[in-house]
Amino acid sequence: MASTYELIASVTVGAGGASSIDFTSIPTTYTDLVVKLNLRNTATGSPRGWAFVRLNNDSSAIYDERMVYTTNGTSAASASNSNGTEISWNPVVGASATSNTFSNNLIYIPNYTGSSNKSFSIDAVTENNATEVALVMNACIWRSTSAINRITITGASSSTLAEYSTGYLYGIKNS
Amino acid sequence: MASTYEPIATTTLGSAVASYTFSSIPGTYTDLIMVVSAKLTSGGATNHYYTLNSDTGSNYSYTRLYGTGSSAGSGRGSNTTNIFGGDITSTEPLADIVQFNNYANTSTYKTILIRNNPVTSTVHAIVSLWRNTAAITSITATTPSSTFAVGSTFTLYGIKAA
Amino acid sequence: MSPLAPLGFFAHPPLAAGDFESISTVTVGAGGASSVSFSSIPSTFKHLQIRAIMKASDSIYMSFNSDTTNSNYYSHWLTGQGSSASASSFAGRLAPVIMAGTGASGFSAVIWDVLDYADANKYKTVRVLTGHDQNGSGEVGLTSMLWKSTSATTQIDIAPVSGSSISQYSSFALYGIRGE
Repeated sequence: MASTYELIASVTVGAGGASSIDFTSIPTTYTDLVVKLNLRNTATGSPRGWAFVRLNNDSSAIYDERMVYTTNGTSAASASNSNGTEISWNPVVGASATSNTFSNNLIYIPNYTGSSNKSFSIDAVTENNATEVALVMNACIWRSTSAINRITITGASSSTLAEYSTGYLYGIKNS
Repeated sequence: MASTYEPIATTTLGSAVASYTFSSIPGTYTDLIMVVSAKLTSGGATNHYYTLNSDTGSNYSYTRLYGTGSSAGSGRGSNTTNIFGGDITSTEPLADIVQFNNYANTSTYKTILIRNNPVTSTVHAIVSLWRNTAAITSITATTPSSTFAVGSTFTLYGIKAA
Repeated sequence: MSPLAPLGFFAHPPLAAGDFESISTVTVGAGGASSVSFSSIPSTFKHLQIRAIMKASDSIYMSFNSDTTNSNYYSHWLTGQGSSASASSFAGRLAPVIMAGTGASGFSAVIWDVLDYADANKYKTVRVLTGHDQNGSGEVGLTSMLWKSTSATTQIDIAPVSGSSISQYSSFALYGIRGE
């Protein structure tokens, strides 16, 4: 029997960490995709880091993003990137942040099998028992008309995703 | 077993239109979520709007947080004739989520939260107030400039609390 | 799709429960409430979402598992107040909710998301989309909160910092989202 909001896959990073969380062979039977991420990386020196988002393993320079954010916890700002090889403004908790703390990220991808370029949003927060964090509202696009069949979340700058980081992929059906 | 999260209606535009309406929205859910993946047929970035229950009176207002790509800011509109939906362009489709919590509550005005995501224009978080206690039974999306392009999609989901 | 349905509406067959499920709902009655609580939250889901409209006599505290130790909480805010955008932080239990006062005409809308709420290896991070507008005032933003405990979340309490009341008609719906 069909249901609207369904778990497709989940990943928990084990001991030793992982370079990425990778959702592959995504079925085409849904309308929208939702990715929930609870991430921490192993890069020291900052309470926040980044985890890149890449679709269909495509590293072409066809990713754009525009965001409003804070990364210091004291002022709001905005930035944009064009022609990137992935989406880069997807924050995670860094190794210098409060221990046992992970980010809370929502990626919403409507019409992931549609014939248009793939627009999606990222709302993400890191946390820390101090002022400095990242709160990001990001509008993103992968300028490809292909159906999305893979979503890869990779630690930036060769950092690894820490043990206990998790990722969950859900499908939403519009009928 | 009852389903909590259900699709109510969806459309993919087969022809360009200046507005699209979800009508006869049942009052049996608690919240509505509208997902908008639309772009304009032509022209530069502009705004789009929503009206509820065909109300085009000065019964709306909003506060917005935005990022242009180079600066962050905030703005406000009072006694407006519609809900400010944010930016829309003809280059790339939106990935907007519009949340109507307690949309059928007949004791309260309606507060709407919008995440507007036009990657080639200004990104928004918007809160809007519709000063009416009526249950929301229709939602109309409008663009005063150009039209919503063929292939644009509008989807309405209902969430039912226990 | 039923040929008799209005344009775009579906007479769809019954849907299965799915992985997004209602757990509990609290609606504040006449006279208001001094607090709202979700207790005995089952551990059978992976994530929690609270969807709410609310007004209160003051800012609100949010507590997990009756933990009222302020040093166990931290919150961060990214908001627009209509004239400027800003960011701030707060050490303590102050809930990162943009609150409409009891005399306001419009309620605050709030969507709280807690991921891995029962994970014994993690502190709990809450992401919040929140705002209210009063036709000339208001605020909207993305906010967050940290609860420094690895305990599974079994209870969530919301109460005004001072004053007495969460307003009548405020409504809080708790949902669970499965992850396995």
